[in-house]
Amino acid sequence: MAERRSKPKGADKATPATPATRATPQQPVRGEKVGVYVCHCGGNISDVVDVDRVATEASQLEGVAVARHIMFMCSDEGQKAIVDDIEALGLDRVVVAACTPKLHEATFRRALQRGGMNPYLFLPANIREQASWAHPHSPKAATEKAIALVRAAVAKAEMLEPLDKVRVAAVHRSLVIGGGVAGLRAALDLARQGVGVTLIEKSPFLGGRSVQLHTVFPTEDPARPLVHRLIDEVKAERNVSILTNTEVVALTGYVGDFTITLRTTPRGVSRDLRKSAEAIAACPVKVANEFNDGIDERKAIYQPYPGSEPDLPAIDWATCTRCGDCLTAAGAGIDLNAEPVETRIEAGAIVVATGFDHYQPRPGEYGYAASPRVVTLPQVHRMLDPEGPTGGRLEIDGRVPRSVAFIHCVGSRQIEGVDEPGPAGKLHEYCSRVCCTATLQAANELRKKYPDTAVYDLYRDIRTYGRDQEPYYVDSSKKGVVFMRFANEDRPKVEVVEGANYPLKVTVTDTLTFGAEIEVPVDLVILSVGVQPRDISEFIDMTHAPVGADGFLLEVHPKLRPVESAIPGLLLAGTVQAPMDITESTSAASAAAAKVTALLASDHVEMEPFVAKVDPSRCDGCGLCLDACHYAGAIALQDVEIEEGVVEKRAYVNPVACKGCGACVPSCPVSALDVASWEIDQYKAMIDAITAQPLIAGAR
Amino acid sequence: MTGTPIDTQGTRMLVIATLLCSYPGIDATGQAHMEYPPNTYVIPTPDPVMFPESFYMHCFEKGVDGILIASCGTDSPYEGSYDQLAARIPKVYALMKARGISIRRLKLTAICSVCTKAFLKEVSDMEAVMAELGPVSGEMTAVPA
Ligand SMILES: Cc1cc2nc3c(=O)[nH]c(=O)nc-3n(C[C@H](O)[C@H](O)[C@H](O)COP(=O)(O)OP(=O)(O)OC[C@H]3O[C@@H](n4cnc5c(N)ncnc54)[C@H](O)[C@@H]3O)c2cc1C
Ligand code: SF4
Repeated sequence: MAERRSKPKGADKATPATPATRATPQQPVRGEKVGVYVCHCGGNISDVVDVDRVATEASQLEGVAVARHIMFMCSDEGQKAIVDDIEALGLDRVVVAACTPKLHEATFRRALQRGGMNPYLFLPANIREQASWAHPHSPKAATEKAIALVRAAVAKAEMLEPLDKVRVAAVHRSLVIGGGVAGLRAALDLARQGVGVTLIEKSPFLGGRSVQLHTVFPTEDPARPLVHRLIDEVKAERNVSILTNTEVVALTGYVGDFTITLRTTPRGVSRDLRKSAEAIAACPVKVANEFNDGIDERKAIYQPYPGSEPDLPAIDWATCTRCGDCLTAAGAGIDLNAEPVETRIEAGAIVVATGFDHYQPRPGEYGYAASPRVVTLPQVHRMLDPEGPTGGRLEIDGRVPRSVAFIHCVGSRQIEGVDEPGPAGKLHEYCSRVCCTATLQAANELRKKYPDTAVYDLYRDIRTYGRDQEPYYVDSSKKGVVFMRFANEDRPKVEVVEGANYPLKVTVTDTLTFGAEIEVPVDLVILSVGVQPRDISEFIDMTHAPVGADGFLLEVHPKLRPVESAIPGLLLAGTVQAPMDITESTSAASAAAAKVTALLASDHVEMEPFVAKVDPSRCDGCGLCLDACHYAGAIALQDVEIEEGVVEKRAYVNPVACKGCGACVPSCPVSALDVASWEIDQYKAMIDAITAQPLIAGAR
Repeated sequence: MTGTPIDTQGTRMLVIATLLCSYPGIDATGQAHMEYPPNTYVIPTPDPVMFPESFYMHCFEKGVDGILIASCGTDSPYEGSYDQLAARIPKVYALMKARGISIRRLKLTAICSVCTKAFLKEVSDMEAVMAELGPVSGEMTAVPA
């Protein structure tokens, strides 16, 4: 996104916030009638902060026309107070001292609009999260702080200028990245809502991880028919073009008008291939089969399962030696010399649905890799699949195990000092959410299928949290699954026992039996591995999409804007954001699709106007700001008629390309640059107001 | 607040917080009722890269005794901005030294949207610095001629 371009993209499409062709500075009109509203938030604020005092102090500030304290500012009553005061008193700026602006900034802006004011003449003061909640035991000091914050907000508010949203012409198409259930659901919804979609999938096949499952909880539907129903519906939409083996390699632009370069790796196989089985059999290369989680091997030309989408093999170029044996066997339909193709597409918005990876246990973690009898839950899913590598039989060395032990939370809910961080140096502190139910589902199936096999379930907590998931737990107890619970810091030990009747010994300190140390002899240990973020670092570098501390892509707000990334026009769907089951993944996908549809509903997208602005009366056209800015075409020099017949260079900000970071601001030797609504003089006024508030004795 | 309580009397700290990272992190600290001294004043910004050197000096001159720049660090959503910001700090330090202000009063940190403990630690460290050095007015020399 940071690539420089000669022509400012979108310069001709946007309604600029900065008129660049006149050299007359716009003199800000100072606010003279500020309304100040202090919220009680029930008692969340007023139990600590003396809201009456805050309002009284505010009412004495110069320029303040009215100051009130109200029980809930976000309520209809609170908003009405603002609207009524605008109408009755002619307010020209509004300050609301309440909760974090992340919650209700938009609410209060709309109230200003209803009162006939420009919504950007509103300013919040955060006296809940940053005063009453942070200093509950220092009510006096919290009150003084709240007064200082309100003073600062009034000082800045008086200097705010009315702003208009930036409008950008929007491309009425979208890009969906990832062909798992989330990407498929998003593509289908978008197409049905009339938005064109390019759906790209990095691997040669659609379906994502869900097609690796055998049956899905809680409906017990066979997984692949379920996913293929969705795939068929997507394929039936004329407005969706699907590209497998495809990745994003470059991305420029902004919401409404992204330009994306896609690279499609050739499949190496065409519809002319009639002898797939012969071609696959002839291939001499054998590698671990990722579809079966490494239980068996596949060839360099392969198809994960019959009837995959597309129903054609693909060549894995990383392992293919180009020996040509497959082509010799098949006769036609294979091209070993095809080259990758790059295409450019435009999209108004992007849905990211790149999914998750399974946690890979470290060698030695609960005996993993030390014994082939320590396997993972996804591997067991593949074994229980009637179309899987063992034909649905759970077997080890060709025999059904007599006794198995599941161990929960492997690679999830990791604890500092107990667990070792992964390769990225990070612990997975989060709960993977799907593995408890998936484990119990598998445990129940084993008990049903192999009544003679003893099933032990070693858990920290059972979190069958979703609708219709708790019955799996109830059922497993009825089916004779034996539960043992271990403490967070006291993990079970798995040892290989040479020559014993049972090859593995699991030792657990069981808190259900008051800390008894129990030794469980088993044939097989199944590790309930968690969900971890997939490595999409290249995409993150391209877009700067924020990533959470857990490594998953981060939404703007978990409750209020749960599927929007902070990058405008980038929406999140499914497990790219957090561990989710299929229901949650598709719900998130539908929400993301609805957001895109709303965003692209008209031929314009509106963006916040907080972008850089130039004071042309100060700018002398030195161009230093161009070097400070990292965004293509965001700032440029252009000819401006400064007076009749005199044309000089002046900086010009393209409001759609400008990201509003302000990197250009300090580069200007004559202070001609600022970011609208985040101006340096406004900050100085805030500092002056804060420091004007006397410090009280014993600030704690 | 974790650790030994510090007498914050007579000092003020400014926290410059980024809208996408540290501001929500500081909100989360409050949401969790994790306490810190009330002499901390948070001002939000899209990115602290926007502040010229003179802004920091303005703050000290007005009586801010310690400044914590709670940036997004290398996770900044804005291309190259963290490097630009980091490069500016030595220039601010030079101006501070010229005015006799201890450079320990300004710290560039990275606080993420869930970094509540890291935020508390940074606040605690800066409180300790302010408690040790006292108000900035006591050490600031006149503007060099
Ligand atoms: C052991 C286990 C058992 C489970 N059992 C159940 C169950 O019974 N019921 C249930 O509801 N849920 C279950 N789940 C959860 C379920 O697997 C997920 O909810 C679902 O797969 C998430 O779908 P997704 O589209 O978000 O991600 P994925 O299924 O991971 O799909 C993402 C897709 O994006 C593609 N992709 C990745 N990177 C790129 C890129 N850069 N460009 C283009 N494409 C890319 C991938 O190749 C993949 O096809 C289980 C999970 C686990 C771990
Ligand atoms: S879902 Fe269960 S097994 Fe998975 S991490 Fe959470 S608690 Fe552990």
